[in-house]
Amino acid sequence: MTEQIDPCIIVAREVDKIYPNGCHALKKVSMSVNRGEVVVVVGPSGSGKSTFLRTLNQLETISGGDVRIDGIHLTDSKTDINKIRAEVGMVFQSFNLFPHKTALENVMLAPMRVRKQSRTVADEKGRELMYKVGLAERMHSFPSQLSGGQQQRVAIARALAMAPSIMLFDEPTSALDPEMVGEVLDVMKSLAKEGMTMVVVTHEMGFAREVADRVVFMEEGELVVEETPERFFDNPTNTRLQKFLGQVL
Amino acid sequence: MDKQYNQAFWNTVFVLIMITIGIGVYMSSKSIDYTWRWERIPQYLINTEPQEVLAPFDGVIEIAADDKTLTVVADSGEDPFVISTYDLRDVEDGDIVFEGDPIAGIEGWQIGPITWGLVMTLKISMISLVFAMLIGLFTGLARISANPAVRNLAISYIELVRGTPLLVQIFIFYFFIGTVLDLDRFTAGVAALSVFTGAYIAEIIRSGIQSIHPGQMEAARSLGMNYVQAMVYVILPQAFKRTLPPMAGQFINLIKDSSLVSVISITDLSKAGREVVNSTFAPFEVWFTVALLYLVLTGGLSWMVQKLEKRLAASD
Repeated sequence: MTEQIDPCIIVAREVDKIYPNGCHALKKVSMSVNRGEVVVVVGPSGSGKSTFLRTLNQLETISGGDVRIDGIHLTDSKTDINKIRAEVGMVFQSFNLFPHKTALENVMLAPMRVRKQSRTVADEKGRELMYKVGLAERMHSFPSQLSGGQQQRVAIARALAMAPSIMLFDEPTSALDPEMVGEVLDVMKSLAKEGMTMVVVTHEMGFAREVADRVVFMEEGELVVEETPERFFDNPTNTRLQKFLGQVL
Repeated sequence: MDKQYNQAFWNTVFVLIMITIGIGVYMSSKSIDYTWRWERIPQYLINTEPQEVLAPFDGVIEIAADDKTLTVVADSGEDPFVISTYDLRDVEDGDIVFEGDPIAGIEGWQIGPITWGLVMTLKISMISLVFAMLIGLFTGLARISANPAVRNLAISYIELVRGTPLLVQIFIFYFFIGTVLDLDRFTAGVAALSVFTGAYIAEIIRSGIQSIHPGQMEAARSLGMNYVQAMVYVILPQAFKRTLPPMAGQFINLIKDSSLVSVISITDLSKAGREVVNSTFAPFEVWFTVALLYLVLTGGLSWMVQKLEKRLAASD
């Protein structure tokens, strides 16, 4: 291999998002993420952090700028967006498990339909992932029979089943009862340790400090601060960030 | 808290009211001097009368010695007419018969006209149901399409069909479209019923799909599924389950609406009823029987849908 691999797996350049109602959700947001890096995005609600995360797999279209995943322009009309999305796992605030399928079937569905894996292969991989997120005993339960924390762990397993190179987390613990936050964060921590590239939107400052390689602060659609966790939390220089941290810590 | 009712007492009240209604019906028939002739009805369901064999031409009867074969020798020199199995014999050896005279009877049973009507109603409803589901599914999906041409076509179809009476549509299908495309009356009837019911099913399916949380579509798409895969594996199974109750109502309407195809001379249950009334002069008995048979069809259908609903409730 003589070809040099670009260390940046996600490159967002001057991303603009204006909703049809005129709301300017993202204002020229630029950010890049290296392979294996964990980036945590924080900010007050309505700051555009979830919107920004969703532009990274085009669940949200962009009005201007450019997003590249692994060198491929998402906005290019020739890009097969389904192929990109298969490589970018996403975990939602409200889990969004498929309620008509058991936990294991949730995990197996996309590998079988998108990756065209056989049932046996998908089943074996699915069981392995259910074991990994600590739900081997509950894999034949329907989502309605699982607690919030368990559902979110199934959702993580479902995303991992596609063997993605990037994982996006959109406030994964915000809908959980406090006692269940830990079990989900533990799974995410072990993923980070394995070297998964992760972009995490969260309000869990402890997680940001402990796991993140970089922390990003967004406010009113702008990327305000991008720092290492130590400098971010211990010596914030930006006044807007100081105010925000004063409110949440 | 809901008020607690005395179950035994109020159930008795229910039964008493039903009995009163029954007596009311009986009394009102008495007041118009109606003579009930229920015994005339069964033969129109299953006919056990021996079937008459008529002489095909003028001739002379010859009966074999063992009384197993009956032959009509034609006066005109045509080939003789032979019956080798009969259960009743109306003629003797050497009798002279004329064309159309009854000569023998064959025992056995046949399906009566009302039963044939029932079979026709069932057949036309089931075939229409399949087509209506297909039309409804595609129109329902078109109705929520982002493409304005597709969406407006679907809306126009739905509004056009829902805004005109089924009876008028059946006439249009039979007399206009049927003539242009050279359709027989059965096909025209099925087409009219399918197109009519399809419009209602489309709206049911649309509302079912829209009732599914948008996060389901996002989750499916975020896993790399395309729109069709997400629809087929994620959205539609959930929408189908949610729309079962209104869908069952629509299916029952379809069975009942199928009675209107009798206007283009399809002998369904209703038309068979009308014909039998003409030959029995027992309208009350016939129409009660026909109503009961419709009730059996629709009741059976709702029972099956309820079973299905229970089975699908496993993931709730």
